[in-house]
Amino acid sequence: MSDQNQVSLEPILEVDNVTVRRNKTDVIKDVNLVIHRGEFVGIVGPNGGGKSTLMQSVLGILRPVSGSIQITGGSPNSRQAYGKMAWVSQAAAHLPKKIRLTVQELVSLGVLNHKNWFIPGRSTSAQTEKAIEMVGLTHLADRDVNNLSGGERQRAVIARALASEAEFLLLDEPMVGMDRASRHALLKLLDEFCHDHNKTILMISHDVAAIRQTAHRMIYLEERIWFDGPPPDFPSLEEIARLRGIRDVHGGHHYNHSAEHCGGGDHTKPSPVIIRKEDE
Amino acid sequence: MMGLGVWLHELVSPTMEAISPYLPGDVFPYFFTMDMFQRALLASFVITVIAGVLGSFLLIRNMALIGDGIAHVTFGGVAVSMVLAGVPTLPMATFFAVVAAVLIFELQDRGILEGDTAIAIMMTGALAFGLVALRIWGEGITANVERFLYGNVLFVDDASLDWICTIGIIALFLLGVIYKSLLATAVDPVAARVQGIPVKAIGLTFAIITAVVVVLMVKIIGALLVTALLVSPAATAQQVGKSFRSCILWSQFFGMFSVLLGIYFSAEKDTGAGAMIALIAALVFLVVVVFKSIVTRLSPLVSKLMERTTI
Repeated sequence: MSDQNQVSLEPILEVDNVTVRRNKTDVIKDVNLVIHRGEFVGIVGPNGGGKSTLMQSVLGILRPVSGSIQITGGSPNSRQAYGKMAWVSQAAAHLPKKIRLTVQELVSLGVLNHKNWFIPGRSTSAQTEKAIEMVGLTHLADRDVNNLSGGERQRAVIARALASEAEFLLLDEPMVGMDRASRHALLKLLDEFCHDHNKTILMISHDVAAIRQTAHRMIYLEERIWFDGPPPDFPSLEEIARLRGIRDVHGGHHYNHSAEHCGGGDHTKPSPVIIRKEDE
Repeated sequence: MMGLGVWLHELVSPTMEAISPYLPGDVFPYFFTMDMFQRALLASFVITVIAGVLGSFLLIRNMALIGDGIAHVTFGGVAVSMVLAGVPTLPMATFFAVVAAVLIFELQDRGILEGDTAIAIMMTGALAFGLVALRIWGEGITANVERFLYGNVLFVDDASLDWICTIGIIALFLLGVIYKSLLATAVDPVAARVQGIPVKAIGLTFAIITAVVVVLMVKIIGALLVTALLVSPAATAQQVGKSFRSCILWSQFFGMFSVLLGIYFSAEKDTGAGAMIALIAALVFLVVVVFKSIVTRLSPLVSKLMERTTI
């Protein structure tokens, strides 16, 4: 990871005291979070801990019962927010499988926004090509997304988000179903976007080790934010459990293993971008 | 005033007559010389072009049966218009279809029901409503309803052709305008919404276009065969196309091919044109699937053989 840090103090996302209720239970409670331009933030936490709920609230799909969410000073569904965010869904789960769709076609959809959605114009192809090039799929631009590997498919979905030229990318478990090399390459790519293209990234992942190695900032979310800080300071799950006053930490979190391994080491130096063997 | 359909008919009629002597069959060439048959052919082509676009989108949305569903829903509208003597059939059928399509969309959009279930409920509900309404208020007029439900491509008059062409062009224009956003919405509704695309409005527009076009199709090829033109060519296209756009074109190609071949056989063997078209459309799908699987099985073998010969 390079040392140059382009994080400004300008907030791009402000989550203020947000509580979101689903099926009569509070999935996240009084969450406060500020993300600045240029940051790469990884959110970890157990299933049902509210990661997706927080993400959907930021995207404006779920409405908090209390608190406020601001994207560059506007609420998620406002005109101010349009074009600022781009959603990178999990390719493994969300791309339609029954139809033919080329990488080029998929990425070109990213160019649409609230102003040009009804114009079928071709003037957008330069933006599309640039985005495809940024993720390194130029040679596969005319291939059907269903014929790509998991990593390539996810890159295509990321290119779709890049084509929108939004500065704030939100990713949901992008590394599911990928081999180690593809995960490594993907994380490197995301890191590059932050540094070289001034993108802000908020990423949900189960992969604690991967997030530790790449993100600038880590958040542990389980109904509330229990940890928010630089990855080297990220505590082991035992410590988190102690914070929360829970004894039994082996309650089936599926990343326990790697988290323990990562938690034991030397925290003073930022770790290099290496995917550990245990991640497989 | 001359309508769009009649104008189009006069435009292509000389060409059709010019190619008729080169066509096979005893009866088939008449489809290119006689006014009535020319209209039938023209109407089917226009419908096929729209069906290719609609069908491809319906496939992504897992709504292959919406054509059949809405077609049966129109039965409710037809029944009502017959009970209330004097109410024109087509507008009432269209009204029923649009309401049903919007309801199906809402049920899906709110996550209450999956596509197929919503379609099934609407379809049986409206069909049953039509039957009950006819039994209670209108005696002995079931025969007419039957005719509407089955339709006949050979009974397209000038007025119907005008309707088909006008609605067809409006539908194609609208679909062209929302093409990209509709694809974005179908591929990833969340991402589309975050981008600022009016996902809901686009979904509703698509539902309404589908409903209106399906009602028109019911009038031409009949309710039970609507699905054939809407789904079979689109499904066949997925086997050969490389991109979404090319699949739409392939779908229109397979649709027209089925129409031509279907009309040829129905003319020569004296069967119902609609049924024959649907049968051909299904057979085309079957042939393409079998052919494709043979090719994909053989291609590794062929390349192996090539390797051996080169070594």
